Amino acid sequence: MPIRVTLDRLLVQRRMSLAELADRTGLTAANLAILKDGEARALRFSTLEALCRELDCEPGDLLSREPEERRA
Amino acid sequence: MPTMRALGPGSLSSFLKTVLDLVWILLLVVLAILAASLLYGVLAAVNPALPFARLALFEGLDPLQAWAVVLVRLLTAFLFVAGVQVIVSRLREIFATLKAGDPFHPENVTRLRVVAIGLAWLELVRYAVWILGALLPPPAAPDRPNLSLTAWFSVLVVVVLAEVFREGARLRREAELTI
Repeated sequence: MPIRVTLDRLLVQRRMSLAELADRTGLTAANLAILKDGEARALRFSTLEALCRELDCEPGDLLSREPEERRA
Repeated sequence: MPTMRALGPGSLSSFLKTVLDLVWILLLVVLAILAASLLYGVLAAVNPALPFARLALFEGLDPLQAWAVVLVRLLTAFLFVAGVQVIVSRLREIFATLKAGDPFHPENVTRLRVVAIGLAWLELVRYAVWILGALLPPPAAPDRPNLSLTAWFSVLVVVVLAEVFREGARLRREAELTI
């Protein structure tokens, strides 16, 4: 997937653990791990909104596009 | 008006799964009886001293010819029931997933394909019996089978259904990875 969720970078910047983010957003830690590891196939607007709210960021801060050659 | 649920525990699928379980056991018993009969038939054909070895079922046939006819019919029945057994076995597995409320289990694609192959097998056995029957003495030769369009249509429908289930399984996987 060329679109990557840069959750790990934002968690470090906000000094927040995955468990704490899960607790604050109401998402499961397992689902957040799927997002963080780049295994998710799609992202709901409601999830994006919850993440942006708790991480105090814009959707663009959470997503980045990887060039094709860097994949695999 | 209360409606019966089609999927999940205590649903119509659950009832059908129980029926299929019973049919599966029954078919196993029938297969065992047919296998034992086949084995005895082969032994009786080569050893006339065995009980019931001197068959007089067909007029004008000696016991060896009569046993040949019986063995071909037993073998046909065995192959036919074995095909039905495979179909019922896969249907049981499919209905187990329906009972669990998980119709788009990825394994169901392969199971449906096996059901389609099983249905085609049953038709092919009918044609094989007719071809083999042409080699048998006239009183035992089976009638010429008609081409069953319904059977071949069913095979194609199940093949298409397998692809529908493949798409369903893909969508389920997508949904699982949508966060």
